[in-house]
Amino acid sequence: MIIAMSKVRILGRRDRLSDVLRTLQDLSLLHLAAPQATPDAPLGRAVLGASQERERRHLQQVLADIDAGLDELHLRPPPVAALQSSARAAPADFVRWARLAWRVRREAERLRLQIVALDEEKALILKYQQFFSAFRALLEAETHWPNATAYHVLVRGSDAGAIPKLRASLAAAIGADFEIYTQPLASGEIALLIVVAAPSARRVEQLLAQAQVQEIPVPAQYGGGGLAQAIPRMLERLGQIPSARDQAVRRQQQLAREHGAELMRARAAVHDRLRELEAVPLTGVTPHAFVLEGWVPTRSRRTLEDRLAAQYGAAVAVEEISMEEWASEEAPVVLSNPRLLRPFEALVGVFPLPSYGTIDPTPFVAVFFPAFFGLMVGDIGYGIVLALIGLALHHWSRPSTLLRTVSEIIGPCALFTIIAGFLFGEFFGDAGSRLGLKPLAFDRHEAMIPFLLLAVSLGAVHILLGMGLGIASAIRRHPREALGRGVSTIMVVLVILALLAAVKVLPRSFFTPAVIGLLIAFPALIVLEGIVAPIELLSTLGNILSYARIMALGIASVMLAVVANKMVGAIGSLAVGVVFALLFHLVNFAIALFSPTVHALRLHYVEFFGKFYSPGGVRYQPFGHWTPARPAA
Amino acid sequence: MEAVLITLAAALAVAVPALATAWAQSRIGTAAAAALAEKPELRTTAILMIAIPETMVILGFVVAAAILFR
Repeated sequence: MIIAMSKVRILGRRDRLSDVLRTLQDLSLLHLAAPQATPDAPLGRAVLGASQERERRHLQQVLADIDAGLDELHLRPPPVAALQSSARAAPADFVRWARLAWRVRREAERLRLQIVALDEEKALILKYQQFFSAFRALLEAETHWPNATAYHVLVRGSDAGAIPKLRASLAAAIGADFEIYTQPLASGEIALLIVVAAPSARRVEQLLAQAQVQEIPVPAQYGGGGLAQAIPRMLERLGQIPSARDQAVRRQQQLAREHGAELMRARAAVHDRLRELEAVPLTGVTPHAFVLEGWVPTRSRRTLEDRLAAQYGAAVAVEEISMEEWASEEAPVVLSNPRLLRPFEALVGVFPLPSYGTIDPTPFVAVFFPAFFGLMVGDIGYGIVLALIGLALHHWSRPSTLLRTVSEIIGPCALFTIIAGFLFGEFFGDAGSRLGLKPLAFDRHEAMIPFLLLAVSLGAVHILLGMGLGIASAIRRHPREALGRGVSTIMVVLVILALLAAVKVLPRSFFTPAVIGLLIAFPALIVLEGIVAPIELLSTLGNILSYARIMALGIASVMLAVVANKMVGAIGSLAVGVVFALLFHLVNFAIALFSPTVHALRLHYVEFFGKFYSPGGVRYQPFGHWTPARPAA
Repeated sequence: MEAVLITLAAALAVAVPALATAWAQSRIGTAAAAALAEKPELRTTAILMIAIPETMVILGFVVAAAILFR
């Protein structure tokens, strides 16, 4: 249900505004709205002073530092209790937190960059790993040549024939002052070490350049002497990297341990102070007084009044603004449902909130959604498996998370699935009937028409309920619209009666009065609802027929289960047949989870909600202390 | 012969709306995928939109059942 709201006006001396705002923040009851000036009561809008504006900008920067610091330290704030007035931060606290946030952010960023650099360096050295082993033997040869220059070259395996040519070219160019050592690599390439006497080095470099052969590049930080000198430095560095990385990670953890909790407290306090500052422009002021307006749940109005009276006495007055002075569309909306129905608010939450003064469909969704789902799946075995999944999800999820909500919706769905399973005598398809299970209502495998009638009848009940809610929702604000909806509802009932009488489900004597009633109601409907009303009436009858999907999906589900069971006997080996049957049941169960959910939702959102739901409500957001956002799972 | 015609009629009652549903769902699916790339929060709405044309094949199935079990 949508809880009743009262609009209140709080008046007081202007010098008490900050104190009153703090009290209201502690109470967390008032949804603030900017007060409207009237000709006999001119009001200015309070604005932040220069120092307050500076403070706001500074706090936003502090908040950015805190968030960045917490993010760098991988700290996700748990839901914490809101700060109470006793824990309100002093100006000195904000100064300390600003310094701390800046310092932690800077150090955390430095540590992150250091870890990234170490990881990159390690990856670079490891890229050279294959060269280390290949050149190790060759490098020993390099040391036997004093005053020699070494060139380290990679050649593709397919170009191995070029090595003798290279040898011949070098011999022709510099005579016998060189040596070539080769080593095949695991990648198929060939590592070449060319050692030449120092005076011939320039000529060799020219030859290599002409042949477009490139040396293996040595990273700059290990350079200054070629690969032979770089490799030992790189290996030494490779040994140092893990400890340097561990040290940086330990420092990160130490930062998180030392300052994490403090930063989270600071985050809450800064958010709180920012909220307080942002509330100021929603205040109306005169030279000596302030006016605050807003909505409070009617059941909590007395609490607000008592608290302000106790704290400020006659200095602050609270008065209720009569309902005639505000439009119901302006009032914020908060849904309040019993514990069992609350998870279904998530299904309604897919739509924008209902307008204030209309109807919250949650209780109806909580009954009809599991019922439709159960009728579509309708199997004791599947219901038990679903219940077990729901229990597991409930066990592994945290309160107030999406997973917990899903688990709480699964519960009633599993219950209705099991009940429908008993009605249709199904336990993993027709396995139940083979074990002697009898349907309490009918076997939907055989009795399609009764199942169709059941589905459409349920549709008629659901749609007529929606139309009834539409009348109730409109009767106060739009009586003419409510009357039109009433006539439309009566006509739907008369059409159903006439059809049932025509197919002899009801006595034939019902037919003529129903048709006469329709003929009388028709002009009234045109007058009240306009020329499109007959089309809407036909569309409503189409909506009722749409519930035939309950039967269609139900039949598809049971047929797939029956086919799965037939696999046990159809395949030669019993064991293979059982495995195939289980796999098919698994597929059917997966389909049974998805398709009935989507179609049960669709029946609600398109057919049912279309008859009464009036979206556009403003969410009730009382001015209060900041709390971290709810975790996703 | 009559039984063949009845069966054929029932098959057509499902097959034609099934093709229509498939065509409609392909169009909606394409549009939904594009919309989800821009606005992932439309996920639930997209799934529901894709389910809407299934009404055709479901009503076709009902008609087929009525033909077969009349």
